[in-house]
Amino acid sequence: MTSTSKQKSNIMKSTLFAPLLSLIIPGSGQMALKKPWRGFTVFIITAVLAFLVEWGLKYYEIGKMTIGGWTTSWLWIPLILFWLWNVLDAYLISKQKTAPVIVAVILAATVLYLIAWIVTDINLDRLVTRFDAAKTVATKVVNPDYFQVYSNGEYKVCGWKCLWEYVSAKVKDEPAPLVSLSDNVGDIFGRKGTITATWWEKLTRGVQIGERIPGFETGKLIETIAIGLMATLFSTIFAIPISFLAAHNIMSHVPGGKLIYYIVRTLLNIVRAVDTVVWGLLIIVWVGLGSFAGVIALTIHSVAALAKLYSEEIEHIDPGPVEAIEATGGNFFQVIRYAVIPQIIPSFLSYTLLRWDINMRSATVIGFVAGGGIGFFVLETIRVGGYQQYAAALWAVAVVIILVDLISSKWRNRILEDKPRAAQKTTWSKIRSLIYLILGVAAFIYCWNVTSINLKNLFNPGVTFGRLLKDFVSIDLSPSVLAGVTKQMITTIMQALMATTLGAIVALPFSFLAAKNLTGKSRFSAWIYVITRGVFNVLRSIEALLYVAIFVYWVGIGPFAGMLALAITTFALIGKLFSEAIENIDTGPIEAVTATGANKLQMIIYAIVPQITPPFLSYLIYQWDINIRMATIIGFAGGGGIGLTLNNYFGSLQYHKAGTVVAIIVIVVAILDFTSAKIREKFV
Amino acid sequence: MLIVKDLVKTYPNGTQALKGVSFEVEEGEFLAVIGLSGSGKSTLLRCINRLIEPTSGTILWNDIDITAAKGKEIRLIRRQIGMIFQQFNLVKRSSVNTNVLSGRLGYVPTFPSLLHSFSKADHERARNNLAMVGLEDKAHVRADSLSGGQQQRVGIARALMQEPKIILADEPVASLDPVLAHSILKYLEQLNKERGITVLCSLHFLDLVHRYATRAIALKDGQVVFKGLPSEIDDKQFKEIYGQDAERIEIS
Ligand SMILES: Nc1ncnc2c1ncn2[C@@H]1O[C@H](COP(=O)(O)OP(=O)(O)OP(=O)(O)O)[C@@H](O)[C@H]1O
Ligand SMILES: [Mg+2]
Repeated sequence: MTSTSKQKSNIMKSTLFAPLLSLIIPGSGQMALKKPWRGFTVFIITAVLAFLVEWGLKYYEIGKMTIGGWTTSWLWIPLILFWLWNVLDAYLISKQKTAPVIVAVILAATVLYLIAWIVTDINLDRLVTRFDAAKTVATKVVNPDYFQVYSNGEYKVCGWKCLWEYVSAKVKDEPAPLVSLSDNVGDIFGRKGTITATWWEKLTRGVQIGERIPGFETGKLIETIAIGLMATLFSTIFAIPISFLAAHNIMSHVPGGKLIYYIVRTLLNIVRAVDTVVWGLLIIVWVGLGSFAGVIALTIHSVAALAKLYSEEIEHIDPGPVEAIEATGGNFFQVIRYAVIPQIIPSFLSYTLLRWDINMRSATVIGFVAGGGIGFFVLETIRVGGYQQYAAALWAVAVVIILVDLISSKWRNRILEDKPRAAQKTTWSKIRSLIYLILGVAAFIYCWNVTSINLKNLFNPGVTFGRLLKDFVSIDLSPSVLAGVTKQMITTIMQALMATTLGAIVALPFSFLAAKNLTGKSRFSAWIYVITRGVFNVLRSIEALLYVAIFVYWVGIGPFAGMLALAITTFALIGKLFSEAIENIDTGPIEAVTATGANKLQMIIYAIVPQITPPFLSYLIYQWDINIRMATIIGFAGGGGIGLTLNNYFGSLQYHKAGTVVAIIVIVVAILDFTSAKIREKFV
Repeated sequence: MLIVKDLVKTYPNGTQALKGVSFEVEEGEFLAVIGLSGSGKSTLLRCINRLIEPTSGTILWNDIDITAAKGKEIRLIRRQIGMIFQQFNLVKRSSVNTNVLSGRLGYVPTFPSLLHSFSKADHERARNNLAMVGLEDKAHVRADSLSGGQQQRVGIARALMQEPKIILADEPVASLDPVLAHSILKYLEQLNKERGITVLCSLHFLDLVHRYATRAIALKDGQVVFKGLPSEIDDKQFKEIYGQDAERIEIS
């Protein structure tokens, strides 16, 4: 009897109940049929898309159409189809089948991308109609201001061409043009000039602090390097103790530790969600413009990022030694010292090196707001239209970052190998350590001076800092501000979406060219490999924020320019990651498919694509995360989006509203982080 | 004398690892703890030095109630109980000497020990204990560059630094091949016979129990199913401990 009644209710459920539910509330039918994640996803997608369609209609008149006096958006058509798909899906699930996901993806993507297209102000025709501008800016970018030639009583900037003329004339022993390094080189790298004496000169040269004396004027690039180094050093020092507070396995041994653990974890996540550049805005109110502000901003963000990585590393240590030291009667601190610290040293070092790389990149852009380093220089040169000076900075940055990247990754590999070395030190290794120590201290003092670190300023905040703190607590949530901020935030998200998509699509074919195992062994393909990889690496070394100026020149100020700049860095990073993923595939299936007589294209589709899909998806999500963060600051250089709003609010001292923006950035980044982590868990 | 009475351990996930275990160990005994995987051997040994909190029951050791000890008392008890682990539990990246010295942590003041500063006497102890296990020349190499057998000898030297009255050994030879197994157990036997250190050692192979133990207890599903001399474990007992399908195998 029970079985028949069960069947009855099953039939009732299977045929009508779930689809009906889904018709009323999308996703609810799937949930009722014990597919909570599927249902939840469908519900969220429908809700978000419906909001976007209505929002787009209101602010941008996207898809506006009027039927008999009733105005709506035709974007509702794909959305309704999506809705119907969801009903069908609920019906099929009750029959132990599912509706094809690809259909839903296409429908949702149609709505999303159409809106994104309008919101990010994409105007492909501008790429063509303003092509002359592109040519002009390209010429300037490839002819950076490094040299000057003297003729007719004045100095003129000259590109690589005049260096070539100079060298060839010298070689041929003809009278050479008067070529010299330009002033711009001095600005970027440094020059002999006058400096203001600090305590260091007082100590070494016996002059008074503040006196103007002859010396080496540090260039903006050197300043940038110093900012990156100092921030890495400071953040490591602060992150180590904090990471112990954020490690579950440590804190569960301490009374009240659980609570501390949750508080610290939450704080770290919030601090991490705010980009370095945004931190810069807050810091300059505190300590004023300059490299010092840059160092603090980088340090704050990087403490949070490092502490999180460190604490995860602590959580993953081998518990065996901990148990062993506890068993000898060692106390909490001794356990940490003898069982935990020795285990985490290599991974901590390697994360610090990784962070150094990231900090150097951030140091190149922090100047956009904080007023120190090469970012500040770029901002100034663009403002006066000095694109050749700007180009010189770009190339210099590229060289530095590529070097840093190389050193950091080589060093990391060596550390992670973690070869046991003789624990007893030879005399030579002692001398070497001593030399390193002296060099390190010297570099530290030099960087300290270059970045004009002034701890007194920390306790002597700027006049409006108190107001900023107060206003940030009581942020402005009035509807008009919220509407404006929401609009800019959506633009920002859409920029990241378009840039990720565009960058990845373009990168895909190139990534195959940059994969050693696919390019074959001929000399021609070897060149293709080297060139594509080279392009990836050079483009990747420059932050999106620094690219914006080029696209502003080409397509004009606005979200389109920002999106294109993001797409360039996406192209480079995704290209590199994709090609490495392709290089890491298992060759077995390739052999097998080739053995069946398949051609190269068939081989790619049947043997490679299935293998690379999971890493590709994971990299796309990773890039999307990066792009969201980047998109929040792209506006500082004229790239549109929330950054512009933030900059304006800060500039006009409207801290209530700036607080709103920062809060919304934190929330949105947190939600998207969580979502992408979930997606990665599910599919990759 | 160590008296374990009605020891119960229920893990937070509900697993009843020990269901009222009682037994006694005289000073100077070499007690083998046998039983199938999952029978509760590791849990039992770790309750004795409170690495695991027993749910109920008492452990008395020479009239000290181990189960009632708190904070510093626990550490003072622990330092008199050496422990040897199946996976050796050395700090792999530290030198052998540091690993051995860390056995002294229960005795030294906290602050100097955090700076890796140990007394001359402790360094001397470390040398002697390493010599005792035949590794004096390995003091300055990293622990992970040693073989498994050598690592376990370092584990013994570390335990000896505590000048223990009891040694708990949790399957000390399960990760080693048979020849090394004998060499490690011989060290334990030597310590037991020459220094009178009580040894509680969980073992998998019955012939090792016959060869080294003076007495044995067997656990099954968290309960004691056998107490007596190793020689008393006959085929019937064996089937009871290890189940009907088990076969006796010998290792040389
Ligand atoms: N931390 C823990 N949480 C929950 N259950 C546990 C935990 N540790 C052990 N157990 C369970 O308790 C029971 C006894 O485990 P124990 O490790 O003491 O057995 P054992 O005899 O040492 O086995 P083995 O020979 O595999 O080491 C097992 O069922 C095990 O799954
Ligand atoms: Mg065990």
